[in-house]
Amino acid sequence: MTDRIVVDAPPAEASRDRVEAAVFAGLDAIRGAERAAALSADRPLVRPWMYPAAAAAAAVAVALVIAVRREPASRSDPARAPSLVVTPVGGSSRFTIDDAVIDAGSDTEVEVRAADPGEVSFVLARGTIDCDVAPRKGRPLRVRAGDVVVEVVGTRFSVARTPAVRVDVTHGQVRVRTPGGEFLVGAGERWSEGGAAPAAIADPSVPSVPSVRGPEEVAAPPDSPDSAGSAAIAAPVASHSDDSAVQPARPLAVRSSRDAFEAAQRLESHDRRAAARAYRAVAGGDGAWAALALYSLAELDASSALPRDALAAVDEYLRRFPRGAGIEDVMWIRVETLRALGRHGDARSAAAGYLRQFPRGTYVKPATRVAAPP
Amino acid sequence: MALRIVERSAPAEADLVAACVRGDRAAERELFRREYPRVLRLVYRLVGSSRDLDDILQETFIAVFRGLPRFRGEARLATWIDRIAVRAVFDHFSARRRLPVPVEVVMDRIDAAGDLGDRAQAREGLRRLYAVLATLSIDARIAFALYAIDGRSVAEVASIMRIARVTAKLRIWRARRELERRIAGDAILRDYVARGSAR
Repeated sequence: MTDRIVVDAPPAEASRDRVEAAVFAGLDAIRGAERAAALSADRPLVRPWMYPAAAAAAAVAVALVIAVRREPASRSDPARAPSLVVTPVGGSSRFTIDDAVIDAGSDTEVEVRAADPGEVSFVLARGTIDCDVAPRKGRPLRVRAGDVVVEVVGTRFSVARTPAVRVDVTHGQVRVRTPGGEFLVGAGERWSEGGAAPAAIADPSVPSVPSVRGPEEVAAPPDSPDSAGSAAIAAPVASHSDDSAVQPARPLAVRSSRDAFEAAQRLESHDRRAAARAYRAVAGGDGAWAALALYSLAELDASSALPRDALAAVDEYLRRFPRGAGIEDVMWIRVETLRALGRHGDARSAAAGYLRQFPRGTYVKPATRVAAPP
Repeated sequence: MALRIVERSAPAEADLVAACVRGDRAAERELFRREYPRVLRLVYRLVGSSRDLDDILQETFIAVFRGLPRFRGEARLATWIDRIAVRAVFDHFSARRRLPVPVEVVMDRIDAAGDLGDRAQAREGLRRLYAVLATLSIDARIAFALYAIDGRSVAEVASIMRIARVTAKLRIWRARRELERRIAGDAILRDYVARGSAR
């Protein structure tokens, strides 16, 4: 099949005026609702939490299901009145509170409460919220899910209640308080309800400990590294030991290879070395996730100007997964890394090999150029 | 009195964004008119001909104007807007995922100068293409449409969807595999894809 399909779009003139009128009418409605909400507030400094209410007032424009409700009239301070954000099954909603951007996932109910000045709390009844929180300079942001409280001062994390509570941290660090104690959860780690301390991708400097499976964890495929043992998963013991209020690490929940792979992906954007270690840990196993991790490691090394490391990962992939789903890309990365190393003759041979195996592949054009005689 | 013609240059992107953030309606309209044709092409290629096209475009531009104060210039403005458009499309697909809604051809420009029979067949081919795409996962559908129909590179698909390149590649690959499977037994779809690629 061809690589590209041509689909002509209709001319912009046919719909531009109609859409333009609707966009600015919608914007006016939203801004009007925001101004009205701002005027009704006693304390101007805490108004931004009312954005969900303003968005709900313009529901036609934003096409999200956001329900807003007020506390009983007996509460005199409107800044303390909660807002409720509800998303339908298959839907989602994004809203902002101060500098925090919150994404509520499918089938989620979360109540937003402004307590003390500058302090914001979310009460997660069900579903998932993903929070991207700028540093809050002492103004705490908390998420309550049942009797679990997640407190943050500046980070990105998500909380799921389905119904067990799970906290995934992308950057920064959060403190999870439960009736059973407190836990610090760092970047790339997950805390889950049911006796599990944070799990993280292996760090060679941290000793691994015995593991148990958490109640909500999905069983790993039989051929995954998780089924063979937990050497790839270790607790960040050091990060816990410097806080006397935090309990020492308990036995760990084993994450599936997919979870570990996705955690490594999340690390790529801000800590490439950690991501490379994480991919290497997943690649230590067998099966599709190991192959994907090895591919990702090769690509990460190649894009990090580490062609020798990339070539090693590529060669390992070719040796271990000669029928892997990413074989075409891997063969092309090999051509690129050989060129980056100045091994032009080898690159030419590798490009010719690629063309033999994938005569109609994605990289035929550049491969043809590389394979051409000098 | 002689008429003096003054050449007015279009405002720079950063100035336009700053004016929009200040709430300058004229600047907002200028930005809308600059970006609309490109965003329309993108959304149309992702969604196909649908009566929801206007709604998705409205949601996209409302989100753009509401989000501009948070635009920090870390990506190109066009890329940032494309991400919002893709998000709007994703939300649209998510909301309708469980509904058996066929693709409605509301407007099309397929070979407008060609033979009537060819145009009808092309329209049917287009409908079948998007009907196949509608059977895919939303992520695979968007990744494939960005790559194969909107002409983005794998790296651009990954950037717009905020996923790793390998993930983008896999999603495109899965979608292509399914489309190939369907094309094998569908002459009209096969002709449409072959004709489109030849243009």
